[in-house]
Amino acid sequence: MRLRDSNLFKFFIFVLIPLIVLIICGMNSTNYYAGLVHLFGINIILVASLNLVNGFSGMFSMGHAAFMAIGAYASALLTLETNQKMTSMSGLPEWLMNLTLPFPIALLIGGFIASFCALIVGFPVLRFKGHYLAVATIGFIVIVRAVLDNEDQWTNGARGVTGLPNYASTWIIFASAILCLFILHRLLNSAYGRSLIAMRDDYVAAQTLGINLTVCKISSFCISAFMAGVAGGLWGHMQSVISGKFFYIEASFKIVETSIIGGMASLSGAIVGSLIMTFIPELLAPLETGITVFGIQLPELYGASNLILAALLILIIIYRRQGIMGYNEIITDSLFSIKTYTSILKKSEYINLYTILINMPKKLISTFAAASKTDAVKNKKRKERRSKNEKNS
Amino acid sequence: MKRIRKLLVIFMVFALVFSLAGCGGGGNEGEGEADTINVGALFNLTGGQASLDQPSFNGFKLAADEINANGGINGKMIKVVSYDGKTEQTTVANNAKKMIDVDKCVVVAGLSDSNYALAAGNICQEKGIPFITSGATLPTLPDQVGDFAFLAPFGDNVQAYATADFAIDDLGLKKCYLLTDQSMEFTKTLAHFFKERYLEKGGEIVLEDSYMNKDPDFSAQIDRFLADKGGAEIIFISGVPDDAGVVVKQFRDKGVDLPIISGDGFDTPLLIEVAGEAANDVYVGTHASLENQDPMVVEFIEAYTEAYGNPPENAFAGLGYDTMYLIADALSRASDPTDPIAIRDAIGETVGLKGVTGTVTYENGSHVPTKSVTINKVEDGKFVFIKEVFL
Repeated sequence: MRLRDSNLFKFFIFVLIPLIVLIICGMNSTNYYAGLVHLFGINIILVASLNLVNGFSGMFSMGHAAFMAIGAYASALLTLETNQKMTSMSGLPEWLMNLTLPFPIALLIGGFIASFCALIVGFPVLRFKGHYLAVATIGFIVIVRAVLDNEDQWTNGARGVTGLPNYASTWIIFASAILCLFILHRLLNSAYGRSLIAMRDDYVAAQTLGINLTVCKISSFCISAFMAGVAGGLWGHMQSVISGKFFYIEASFKIVETSIIGGMASLSGAIVGSLIMTFIPELLAPLETGITVFGIQLPELYGASNLILAALLILIIIYRRQGIMGYNEIITDSLFSIKTYTSILKKSEYINLYTILINMPKKLISTFAAASKTDAVKNKKRKERRSKNEKNS
Repeated sequence: MKRIRKLLVIFMVFALVFSLAGCGGGGNEGEGEADTINVGALFNLTGGQASLDQPSFNGFKLAADEINANGGINGKMIKVVSYDGKTEQTTVANNAKKMIDVDKCVVVAGLSDSNYALAAGNICQEKGIPFITSGATLPTLPDQVGDFAFLAPFGDNVQAYATADFAIDDLGLKKCYLLTDQSMEFTKTLAHFFKERYLEKGGEIVLEDSYMNKDPDFSAQIDRFLADKGGAEIIFISGVPDDAGVVVKQFRDKGVDLPIISGDGFDTPLLIEVAGEAANDVYVGTHASLENQDPMVVEFIEAYTEAYGNPPENAFAGLGYDTMYLIADALSRASDPTDPIAIRDAIGETVGLKGVTGTVTYENGSHVPTKSVTINKVEDGKFVFIKEVFL
């Protein structure tokens, strides 16, 4: 039995440790590090929902930033106080002006508006395939940006909307993230999910099996847009400032990049990708400001973290095209499996984990020894071959 | 075997990265002593804003070095803590948080664009730390953010008023043709305030027209203007750097030789490079003039050239420089230079602080300084200092 098969181990790594981190963050929610964890949670929603379209359905959408923008503006519009709306959104009809809803409802409505827009955009756009679809969805971002910047009376133009109440707590962000992951996990393991995957792998074969491609495409696009809208709303309330500028092509690229690094066809990949893209720039930040290593003052290298991340992306595309997680679903599978949770009550699980851990060093040494042995044999063979070649020549 | 080797390589790379990061963290903690004051310098050093923010950041560091060389503030040294905002709102906001939570900065300053300044300002307001934007000119920024936000430059209204005053009082030209870039907040605001003041002063806007940023051709607007000049004596163009040279050149090519006037969006070498001869007789209302013979400006340009190998790229270098001195002045007057509220009050009480980009005074509790506007004129391919306008 391997370590990764132990349910108890999975419980510790994927449930207990994250839970402890979340509780600590929830108690100091204004702290800088808690802010990073919040961003991580929002990134999970964005990337996982993008994976539904890009990884599982075989389309390639770049329009996520636009759906985020729609969700963010909608939930801002529904949660701001009347007097705030008077100054920044003067052209609203009266009933909207006086409407202030609880945050979760505003989030949901933001998601619905985003998915409604996806429905309208989806009909013409989803006829495209591959890079045509990517370009068309970029066009959608440009349209949304133009509307946000020019419809002053509803969106306050390029100045953006400020003063969004800080409702995005650790709890609501991660409750939404887990809920989104759960919904996607269940969807992908249902007949519907299988039909999406079939459509991705061979759409003609999928059609012969009676799968309606149009319905599949548009529905997955809408579900994805809904979650992006919710994430946009959370993001807006976390940042407390939104404007069209921040929901532009760069933002979309970043989500796509995260999805590729983690693994497009895996929900666990979305988690791993978000983890890397949220925290690695943080670890590399000291490199940019010119740190002292072994007494030597390094020069300031602003932009270094961008370069390193770009190099990482290139390396991953060359050596591991399926992303870090590939098709592996270890995180979501163990998060949403009862076995993981019941394992803490079973004695045999503890014994199992104990024996695995005890045998670990031994196993490592033996694999190394075996590896070096085969290596030596290989080298010997190589030498022999070479000397033979020399003799022949 | 191959797999294990790969894993080992990955592991070692990670170990290296982590140890590097660890070193950095350790270094910072060692320096966090009681006799330094940490000041956050938040600029977008990469990405779209870099051409404005990099000179600003250079000026900011230059001022901090000068202050430290002269013995610091009441014996305490200034330590500039800076992170790259990457022209991304999330990064800007996170870094603002980091400066306050991790590096314990007592003041955060920087940024040349209102949207990013709003993001950072909100974080600072929430945490109760003064925030001074070195280059964003949105006059309503302090109202939108709150009592901890300050502007170091003048607001858009001030530069618009100053150019309107200059056109009427100094040039004596009372009939204006107004051309506005409709695609940007800055240009729309500038045109709005210019019109307001110009009409107030008894001027007359004889014709108004608009274009969009990066339009390659202005002949439609120019032909409309030529068809009905309405006796216009001066042209106000509310535009940004990338259009400046193009629009001026096309007007001159069609034989329009009226004086042209604009705001700090036209304070760019591009105006002269693109328009060449045609740029003559263009007036620009901006933050500072590098031609200004004021000893302070001359010294600043010399020091900047010595430190970075080239003269200041634009007025934003001067704004960064002045912002640091503004902070230093407030810190030296504050009753307790570790208490953000005392610092905020001290900044608010700044009176007559002379800098490279004019004199800063926060009047009547306003957090936008009443600052002089410099009017430059293009003569023979150079910006020539004409006048400092006080409102």
